[in-house]
Amino acid sequence: MNPDSENFDSLRQLLSLKRHEIPPPGYFDRFSREVTARIKAGERGGEIGASYSWLRRLLGMFDVKPIFAGAFGTAVCAFIVSGIISSEQSPVMGGAVSAVSGNPSVAAIPVSMTSPGLDQQFSTTSNSVAGSLFDHFPLQTEPASQQVLFSGGN
Amino acid sequence: MREAEAAMIMTEPISGKAGDALKRTPQGVQPEPAPIEEAELVKRARKGDLAAYDQLVQRYQERIYATVYHMTSNHEDANDLAQEAFIKGFQALKSFKGGSSFYTWVYRIAVNKTINFLKQRKNRSQMSLNDLDFNAEHDPDLIALISDKTPRREAGLAELQDKLNEGMQKLSEPHRLVVTLHDVQGLSHEEIAKIMGCNIGTVRSRLFYARQQLQGFLADYLK
Repeated sequence: MNPDSENFDSLRQLLSLKRHEIPPPGYFDRFSREVTARIKAGERGGEIGASYSWLRRLLGMFDVKPIFAGAFGTAVCAFIVSGIISSEQSPVMGGAVSAVSGNPSVAAIPVSMTSPGLDQQFSTTSNSVAGSLFDHFPLQTEPASQQVLFSGGN
Repeated sequence: MREAEAAMIMTEPISGKAGDALKRTPQGVQPEPAPIEEAELVKRARKGDLAAYDQLVQRYQERIYATVYHMTSNHEDANDLAQEAFIKGFQALKSFKGGSSFYTWVYRIAVNKTINFLKQRKNRSQMSLNDLDFNAEHDPDLIALISDKTPRREAGLAELQDKLNEGMQKLSEPHRLVVTLHDVQGLSHEEIAKIMGCNIGTVRSRLFYARQQLQGFLADYLK
């Protein structure tokens, strides 16, 4: 029974395909460095290297299939965007945001607690903010004008 | 039976003569190192010189990785196992007697690790295949294979690659190892027999059986 004498030529041709399977570019440039780093980590007595093995596998997966890197990036972006959207829609902040967005000029308002008289002046704005975070703070759209008296001089 | 075969593989490293033969494999793309230089690197590495060991790793990383990869059909697993083989090699370097080449010795460590790993992951056979290089499309053997003589001529190389690896994973570890070493890496029956610790007849019969299995599985893709 000589396996070479049998008609396995086509199979052997097909098996030659495996010789063309190559790891990602630059893989062998990093390989020995990673081995050395793991040996050093082991010598330091740390299980640190082992605890980050999942990270190595993740990064290795990115090497093999760049589409995973793209998918991971997309997932992170989606997570951030959904976080921003959900924070905007939360009930506590919602009132404040809607109140502010109702009056564009209020967007850049410095909050001042020094001019009680202005409370009445901007009472319409304040009243429209029902239950907002700014209920307890008087809002000021522009700096209060004060009369300046110059005495003496020109 | 399988444990016994694995145990045989885990026996003493093959002789220096076999190790020399191993270096002449078609997979040996890297220039052959002078034995004295390797011995010097090993000597330095045994004293804890990581730079020397790094050079040894760079010399043999491609062959070790390729062997493990063809056994696992999974890049991440092959990466881990190949790295662990070199790490274990460094840790066990003091027990390396120098009776065989360093490559042969590390190779045995890698094969043993791989077989143990494959036993543990028996129920998990997720493949993570490497891309084919540019030359695959110009390989005469493969061009002939996907020519109009092929029954499944619509099959592309990627599909063939998937199916081939799937078939490889259906073989038992010893049979897959024989096919990998002989048909993929180009080792002779004698060399494989020394590596696996069995006689040449066993290698031949395993190779015959493994090819039959593969041929049956891949019948639609073969002429």
